[in-house]
Amino acid sequence: MSIVTEPTKPVATLPLDDAHVGNIDDYRANSLWRLTFRRLFRQRSALIGLILLAILLISAVFAPLIAPYDPEKPLIGIEAVGKREGPCIHILGCPSDRPQHIMGIDGNFRDVFSRIIYGTRVSLYVGLLTVGFAVITGTLLGAIAGFFGGWADNVIMRVLDVVLAFPFLLLAIAIVSVLGPGLTNAMLAIAIISVPAYARVTRASVLSVREMAFIEASRALGASNWHILFGRILPNSLPPLIVVATLGIATAILDTAALSFIGLGAQPPTPEWGSMLAIERNQVFSAPHLVFFPGLAIMTTVLAFNLLGDGLRDALDPRLVQGGAPK
Amino acid sequence: MKKSRILLVMGLLLIAALVITACTATSGDIQDAVDQVAPTLAAAATELAPTVQAAVEEIAPTVEAAATEIAGGEEATAEPAPEEPMADMMVVTAPDDFCPPAPGNAFKEIAAIDELTVQFTRCQPDPAFPSKAAFTSFAIQPSEHLEAMGGTPELLENPIGTGPYMISQWNRGEELVMTKNPNYWGDAAFADTLVFRWQTESAARLLELQSGTVDGIDNPGPDDFETIAGDPNLQLLERPALNVFYVGMNNTYPPFDNEMVRQAIAMGIDRQRIVDNFYPPGSEVATHFTPCAIPNGCAGEEWYEFDPEAARALLAEAGYPDGFETEIAYRDVVRGYLPDPNIVAQDIQAQLAENLNITANINVMESGAFLEAADAGQLEGLHLLGWGADYPDMTNFLDYHFGVSSSAQFGDQFGDITDTLSEAASLAGDDARAPLYEQANNLIKQHVPMVPIAHGGSGVAYLASVSSPHVSPLGNESFAKMDPGKDTFVWMQNAEPISLYCADETDGESLRACEQVTEALLAYEVGGTAVEPSLATSCDANEDLTVWTCHLREGVTFHDGSTLDANDVVLSYAVQWDAANPLHVGNTGAFSYFSALWGPFLNAPPAE
Repeated sequence: MSIVTEPTKPVATLPLDDAHVGNIDDYRANSLWRLTFRRLFRQRSALIGLILLAILLISAVFAPLIAPYDPEKPLIGIEAVGKREGPCIHILGCPSDRPQHIMGIDGNFRDVFSRIIYGTRVSLYVGLLTVGFAVITGTLLGAIAGFFGGWADNVIMRVLDVVLAFPFLLLAIAIVSVLGPGLTNAMLAIAIISVPAYARVTRASVLSVREMAFIEASRALGASNWHILFGRILPNSLPPLIVVATLGIATAILDTAALSFIGLGAQPPTPEWGSMLAIERNQVFSAPHLVFFPGLAIMTTVLAFNLLGDGLRDALDPRLVQGGAPK
Repeated sequence: MKKSRILLVMGLLLIAALVITACTATSGDIQDAVDQVAPTLAAAATELAPTVQAAVEEIAPTVEAAATEIAGGEEATAEPAPEEPMADMMVVTAPDDFCPPAPGNAFKEIAAIDELTVQFTRCQPDPAFPSKAAFTSFAIQPSEHLEAMGGTPELLENPIGTGPYMISQWNRGEELVMTKNPNYWGDAAFADTLVFRWQTESAARLLELQSGTVDGIDNPGPDDFETIAGDPNLQLLERPALNVFYVGMNNTYPPFDNEMVRQAIAMGIDRQRIVDNFYPPGSEVATHFTPCAIPNGCAGEEWYEFDPEAARALLAEAGYPDGFETEIAYRDVVRGYLPDPNIVAQDIQAQLAENLNITANINVMESGAFLEAADAGQLEGLHLLGWGADYPDMTNFLDYHFGVSSSAQFGDQFGDITDTLSEAASLAGDDARAPLYEQANNLIKQHVPMVPIAHGGSGVAYLASVSSPHVSPLGNESFAKMDPGKDTFVWMQNAEPISLYCADETDGESLRACEQVTEALLAYEVGGTAVEPSLATSCDANEDLTVWTCHLREGVTFHDGSTLDANDVVLSYAVQWDAANPLHVGNTGAFSYFSALWGPFLNAPPAE
């Protein structure tokens, strides 16, 4: 059994415990989420992250409308373009009789801009799905470990410690090598290795929440273990998890790009940014646009999630809650 | 809290108890086990003793004979040679039943006739003997050196040859340094020091050349050809396209077991588009499997024209009107025949989808695993591979891939092709073989074991200050013949040599390094493919081309000071040929080129 260091009586400074102050309407109006969003929008960096994310979401959802060309079809014999031709933008002086390709042409005569736009879909899909899987699994494991303690805690956390003991990307490579290369397997690998992080965060907050007075109250009212765990404890353990998950999406996207770069992730012709980088890495001097734009796309996406994650962390931090009292 | 402490203590106690039990149990158990086993072992030993004794007695004479033979002592054969051989002349002879039936070929005997004459006896006529004897893997090393180093890993890094350069230092992972051989029998090398370096990325190689840190680079990227040609400080030499890039299929896996499917794929790929867009200048669309520069290479009908409608019709007739799903396997390795593997693979993928509605998933494999899987016939879909000429003869292309001794790469062999090739290989003279190769090429076109795409031109770039530069169609540039205008010549290739015992290497990067140091009986002309004298001043055949007699050059010394004699030649061949020879050890022990070019090993262990 792990050594329990948490104080048995919680210090009643958390906003949730202040709920008895004021009437119920005030409480609703100033729920944690409302306060969080208000604080989030007040931060410039988080706002930038949100805007970037909105752009990414729009381009992912409306990719077929935004992308001017088929991302997988070579333009050989369709348009008079050269292999790995640089960007041609009409408003920047590219002759108007030439077809416009704002990010140039790749080695297979495809429009890079269209591929980048469709790549947003792949990246967001990968990020959200892997983190979604990891969060659900990790939360369940962490919650069970934290709530029930004892041997369940020991077994679950030690197994996860073993997973954590491996270098992150190496373990992912090992998993993909066993399962075979491909986007699905890469996602699965990244999801598996992200589980421990979420489990630990959940367990830590479950451990602190379960000792609070309102849990005792629920228990005194005869609530079942499952009801307490899923109805009371988990909802109150969410804030740190949301921060970690947001930052985790960035990591997941980066790792997928890395796996694709070494040929274990998305397989051609899927327009995945990491594999776009990998295939044209030799052209870094002769056709820099082929490396620049996928790199920029990866950077922007990761930056967006990181900014948002940082902002969320600040906004959810109970120590910065001064302005959060009922009006 | 209290409960947890109790639990903790109990847990610790439990662990301690377990450990103690385990320890005591182990020592006791082992003692028991030993007591139990000892009598059995003793019984077994007494039982076996006579057998072992008998076996030793049986082997002893053989071992002794082998030992004397290896030591360069008595000849191991009782068969008297026509001329009475000198007492210390080495001879290796195969047993009477060794020769394979007619289409196959093998060595019958390799014998030192006198100090400067070696006689090679082949089972069947072998018109390609000179071309094969000039190949790097059959370089001559001193017999003393082979005996001293053979069988140990030291041989892999310390070749002793007769070449213009000798190995000075090999810093694994960094560079390979060679110094000029002052006693070279031919024209001495220009530069005193030759350094081999390597870099996988073509962009990085070019950068090194542009900055002047290296004097020459292999295989600049196809897109860099123009840059190099336009740079007054650099010179570009195009390597003739003596290779072929093809899309292979295995006829044992559906749907490729259907000839119509294979023909449809042959017609459904626009090969001109691939060569025009993804190959450097000097490349050409393959009209046949073999490049036209090889005698009889382009005999017979040209390959199918690109015709997507006909291809779709054929595919529908074969029962796949809506296409099918398959795989394109390849290795991400740049070779002269495939300058940009990823890009070409994706274009073929796109073409298959567009022209034939075939969904092909790309499968990039590790180089070694890919070659192994291809050879073993395990690639179920399409595979992208190529072949570079080792020696300029049809047998090196067609027999290796489609002959009787070919691997399972394309599935079951096509009987009519193997028969034709075997017949052709036994004939002497390109004219006499022409009709048979015409027939073989037409059969290949009909059966489509693979789709030949291109003969890829590649190149070599040097600093403009390098005078008398050349490029070899076989990939074996001789740097002794080039003058960098300074003391050191630095060459940068794609990869590090694997080992320098090239008898057991197939990798071109290793072979090129060996070629600077060791020499074979004959050689390919500098920058060409014609065979010319080297360590042998001549190799003459008897009338039916089965017995080849090579006359060694007089007064050639090895880097260790010893003089070249016939025994060196016999042993250099014998350690490769005789699988039972204790010196038949190399990097992998496969000696692939020997078996591919000369036929089966002597005393080969029985197949599993």
